[in-house]
Amino acid sequence: MMVSGNSSKPFLLKLWALGCSLKLAIALASAATLVIMGGSLVMHYNPAIFAGMEQEVMGQWLPQAWSHAPLLVFWVPLSGLCILLFALNTLCCLIDWLIMVRVRWRKTGEYLIHAGFILLTVAYLWGNLSGFRSGPHRLAPGERMSIPNMPGYHLQLKEFTPLIEPSGRPLDMINKLVLWKNDRQVAQKTVRINHPMVYDGLVILPSSYGQDIQGFRFHLPGTGFVDLVSGSRLPISSDLLLVVHRFIPNARQDKKGRVVEIGRRLNNPALQISLLGPAGTIWQGWYFLRRQLPEVMVGAGIYLRPVEPVLTTFSLLTINRDPGDKVALTGGFFITVGVIFAFFSFYRKRTIDDRPEI
Amino acid sequence: MSKTLLYLLFAIYLMATSGYLLHIVWRRSFVAAVSLILVFAGVILQTALLGHRWWAAGYLPVTNLFATLFFFSWALALIYLYFELRYRIRATGLFVMLLNLVLLGGALPRDTSISALIPALDTPLFSLHIIFSFVGYAFFAMAFSVGVLYLCQSRLNTQLLPDLPTLRKINEEAIFLGFGLFTLCMVAGSIWAHIAWGHWFSWNIKSVWSVLVWMFYAGMCHAKFVRRWQGGVYAWLSIAGFGVVLFTYLGIGLLLESNHPLE
Repeated sequence: MMVSGNSSKPFLLKLWALGCSLKLAIALASAATLVIMGGSLVMHYNPAIFAGMEQEVMGQWLPQAWSHAPLLVFWVPLSGLCILLFALNTLCCLIDWLIMVRVRWRKTGEYLIHAGFILLTVAYLWGNLSGFRSGPHRLAPGERMSIPNMPGYHLQLKEFTPLIEPSGRPLDMINKLVLWKNDRQVAQKTVRINHPMVYDGLVILPSSYGQDIQGFRFHLPGTGFVDLVSGSRLPISSDLLLVVHRFIPNARQDKKGRVVEIGRRLNNPALQISLLGPAGTIWQGWYFLRRQLPEVMVGAGIYLRPVEPVLTTFSLLTINRDPGDKVALTGGFFITVGVIFAFFSFYRKRTIDDRPEI
Repeated sequence: MSKTLLYLLFAIYLMATSGYLLHIVWRRSFVAAVSLILVFAGVILQTALLGHRWWAAGYLPVTNLFATLFFFSWALALIYLYFELRYRIRATGLFVMLLNLVLLGGALPRDTSISALIPALDTPLFSLHIIFSFVGYAFFAMAFSVGVLYLCQSRLNTQLLPDLPTLRKINEEAIFLGFGLFTLCMVAGSIWAHIAWGHWFSWNIKSVWSVLVWMFYAGMCHAKFVRRWQGGVYAWLSIAGFGVVLFTYLGIGLLLESNHPLE
């Protein structure tokens, strides 16, 4: 770090001296601190505007928020500018140190921290300009989904097991996931809490889970229990087949006889059924489980008795992409090693009665 | 944890603090020595209690207000011992141990039971994050205490307190070590956040203020080279910095909604 300048120096040297200035570092760090301090209070009192800040990367959130409330979010780019200038100042100091590393090698720890900070700034910019955060994405076992913003990539959930304590407290969510790129498997991992799938900047991790009503379980005399879900085909006899076209957990029939879904919560379940005989369709219509069995079914000897809903458990996954994550990790490594070196050199310098200087 | 042992611990620290006060009044070195022994005894008891809680819980139980205050108090007492043994700061102990009593006193009326660990916290990175964070905070608390004493000494010029260069040296050392440990806390926290939530930095109020603490003390690590700021200004900065730390630790956890709630 340089502390003073000389008026007779050429402009570029003066600029370099300013870039390496200790006072500039303090001024920029103070400016960033004060701007973010004020901004954090604006954040707290305006949750409607800042709620999305955690769910999206800065590159996506800032333009939207700016268009809605520029006066409330102006501090974000301002603090970013202060930090960016602080990182540039840190870079100048690092280069200045590297030039004279032979005589200033004792400050290796401190300058590793500087290098780590620069890498973290670069990683943050990279990740927030070209990455994304998305989710929660609903995926049931066996299902496959496209990865947002990454054409050709698909995610498949092979198995899902939520682990729940007897008290009902969720312990973990175990997802067997496969990542495909153009139908070629590129990664496979059992993902659970604190154990995400990480691939080329992608981070896929469980966020929650839920249950959905897929159909209904019935008792059919002479057959036993049968699960009827959308697409089920139940042979009743050698020449009679029951086909389920659709299951709706909460259905309503309007005055014109049309059946519409009004929600996914179990309230008024209905099955759209066809009875097929050797000559073709005998009957097609809706069976509302709260009502009597349709007469045609009774006439055909199909005495279905509803027992319980058929539930399917689905996983909710968070899918983020941060292409700068490896750079950030390298920055973290530099900083960690730098702190250890700095501690060592601090005490070494005190032992030999040398003033510790960064 | 037995409340009796907790009150015993508080009594030990209270006696040590009273001893340091008596030392200032009587100026007898044996009183200060007895106080130091009491602090030693307190730290041993507190370490045993903390170790027992850790063993009983199966994880480092620093997840609520009682546990964080208790851990903070333990870290501060330990760091005071380090500086006392290294620099023989004696009367300085009064102020540090008073701060420690405030922390432990804040923990006393609270529920000591260990709650079940939420799954996302079940990782060694959480333990590292917590340890580095509170030991870092304790160094900042030490720097705050020494900063106050520096300002007192610069007006009183008393024999009871260490001289100004020593106080300045201790202050700078506490800030440097606190900054280093808090930096490691941030690194561990970022890696943990990446594997638990898929991003290594998020704009929630706790993370933002943690960055502010880091930036503030990073600035202080540079400010010690500004000749005019050495000593007095640095002491004032240490006091202001601890204000930022307290807001980050208690203010956000108790007053605002955050992902680091304190109950």
